[in-house]
Amino acid sequence: MQHEFKVDGEMVEVTVAKDGQEWILGNHVAIISDDGRIMVKQPDGRTSFAHSAKVGDTWWVHFEGHIFCIEKTEAGSIDNDSDAGMTAPMPGKILEVKVANGDSVEAGQLLLIMEAMKMEHRIVAPVDGVISTVNFSPGDQVQQGDVLVEMAE
Amino acid sequence: MIKTVLVANRGEIACRILRACSEAGLESIAIFADNDAGSMFTELATIAVPLAGDSIAETYLNQAQILSIAAEYGADAIHPGFGFLSERADFAQAVIDAGISWIGPSPKAIEMMGDKMTARMTMKAAGVPVIPGEEIESEDEAAMISDIIDASERVGYPLLLKASSGGGGKGMRKVEDPTNLEEAIKGARREAIAAFGDGRVYVERLLTGSKHVEIQVLADKHGKTIHLGERECSVQRRHQKVFEESPCPVMTEGLRSRMGEAAVMAAQAVDYVGAGTVEFLLASNGEFFFLEMNTRIQVEHPVTEMVTGVDLVREQLRIAAGEPMSCGELMIRGHAIEVRLYAEDASNNFLPAIGPLAMFRAPTGPGIRLDTGVREGDLVTPNYDPMLAKLIVWAPSRPEALQRMRRALDEFVVLGTTTNIRFLRELCDNRDVISGRTDTMLIDRVWPDGWQPNHSQSSLDAALMVAAVSESAGLHRVQTQDVSVSEGPVSPFSTLNRRYP
Repeated sequence: MQHEFKVDGEMVEVTVAKDGQEWILGNHVAIISDDGRIMVKQPDGRTSFAHSAKVGDTWWVHFEGHIFCIEKTEAGSIDNDSDAGMTAPMPGKILEVKVANGDSVEAGQLLLIMEAMKMEHRIVAPVDGVISTVNFSPGDQVQQGDVLVEMAE
Repeated sequence: MIKTVLVANRGEIACRILRACSEAGLESIAIFADNDAGSMFTELATIAVPLAGDSIAETYLNQAQILSIAAEYGADAIHPGFGFLSERADFAQAVIDAGISWIGPSPKAIEMMGDKMTARMTMKAAGVPVIPGEEIESEDEAAMISDIIDASERVGYPLLLKASSGGGGKGMRKVEDPTNLEEAIKGARREAIAAFGDGRVYVERLLTGSKHVEIQVLADKHGKTIHLGERECSVQRRHQKVFEESPCPVMTEGLRSRMGEAAVMAAQAVDYVGAGTVEFLLASNGEFFFLEMNTRIQVEHPVTEMVTGVDLVREQLRIAAGEPMSCGELMIRGHAIEVRLYAEDASNNFLPAIGPLAMFRAPTGPGIRLDTGVREGDLVTPNYDPMLAKLIVWAPSRPEALQRMRRALDEFVVLGTTTNIRFLRELCDNRDVISGRTDTMLIDRVWPDGWQPNHSQSSLDAALMVAAVSESAGLHRVQTQDVSVSEGPVSPFSTLNRRYP
């Protein structure tokens, strides 16, 4: 079976085959245990148990102490994460807005300060660019994922 | 005599205290806000009583409401835990005035230690060394800025601005040079007003390369005040501790007894009763300076419990009931390490994270203790502090404890919400952590440009395969399928031969 995933910003196509109880990918073999864990036999003969859970479109995988967030994407979908919009990392309140429409900013420059979980968080420009829209003013409540500032590169 | 304890807290520490009550044979009352309904701690109490209101001010900080629940349900003692009302002298006084035992020191002691500037002055008078710095009396923003600018020239850079009512890194700013001073003062003041309703800020020299070492003290109402050795909590991110251990790797018998003596002096200077912690900065030349005293049980108390064998919360209950403390001579055995499990993104400036705990499988085995406030299926919300749990290990020696911590963190599976588990695991491999050369700047020094997980290509490949297998096998649909197997030719209720009531 073939799947498309996105991990660490890269698209990866993964194809696994099934033979009886065994899932095969190259020289890796995986078997699903009764308790839902996945036993992975690696090429060097080592065996490890992985845990997985899906939240929304993302598979969270725990493997040998590492955790990966692997997003399932539909084949042929377009990666539109690069619109350079800055979103609220969590619900909170805007304290200060440091830029206005038309301002040129540099990567790393402070755009606004918000408060969430009783701590101040600084939202900075990810890249150089020009501010095209500022969507909130000091005192506004924002929800997670709200686009705070939009900019053009 | 105490029969029923109301625990005025939530999460992990509420669980810890409610279990101690149960072990002490006491009845307990949990109080919970609407958004904590169904939380683990509400299940560990004899009764759980809902709090009316939405905000923290209307619920866990609402003294009148908590006192009226205490009266209605017959609580004869209140344990405040840490955070929330634990260091509020006015609440301690109101509890005592209501004829209820306060599990903690006197309101006077809380007040003297709680105001950091007053504490500095009290300690100076008692002969306990304090960090070079200056108290700033002005409260008006403009006057404060000009006073701090004056003081900064005498104190010198780098310096630290601290909220007089502060704690937990809130209202604190590190200032490297004068150009950033004014903005830092405004930020610290604003955060202090928001968090504590008190904008007073003072100045201390930032002692770089020093260790954060604190002494646990215990005092009963029969005139006995002892110390239970030290904890080193140097490894901090944004002034919040993440990795704590006992004993401190550079501790000597002589230094421990000098610091212990200073801590006991500090406690006695305010007629301290109960469990408390005196925090010091330990400079590399062996000099130590008073930082502050926390007049409550502390997050990292388990490491002391593991190496001394003393149950600190049980002692708190005993002391509040007027009994003498049960511990004898100090004996430190082996080594204990605690790490704090936070819902946060260590690769993005430790930003708090939220989400479901789709999987939460804690490690088990010898020498492992988990103090948690959450379990699988819970939702991590932005309403409260992002600390989910504490993982504590004990082993005969420090290298063995560190190895046990690595093993435990590798086994710890939390999926669905970003946590700092991998960061903590890689911290255990850091050269300075291994050698015990930890200081309060360690995280900034080791990861000046931020931390990124150190994944190998082979583990990423294996994880991709696991995701593909999980998707192909429809593992995310298994649980819903399981629920629907109760159909069948024979009703599962057909053998019912008794109805209750």
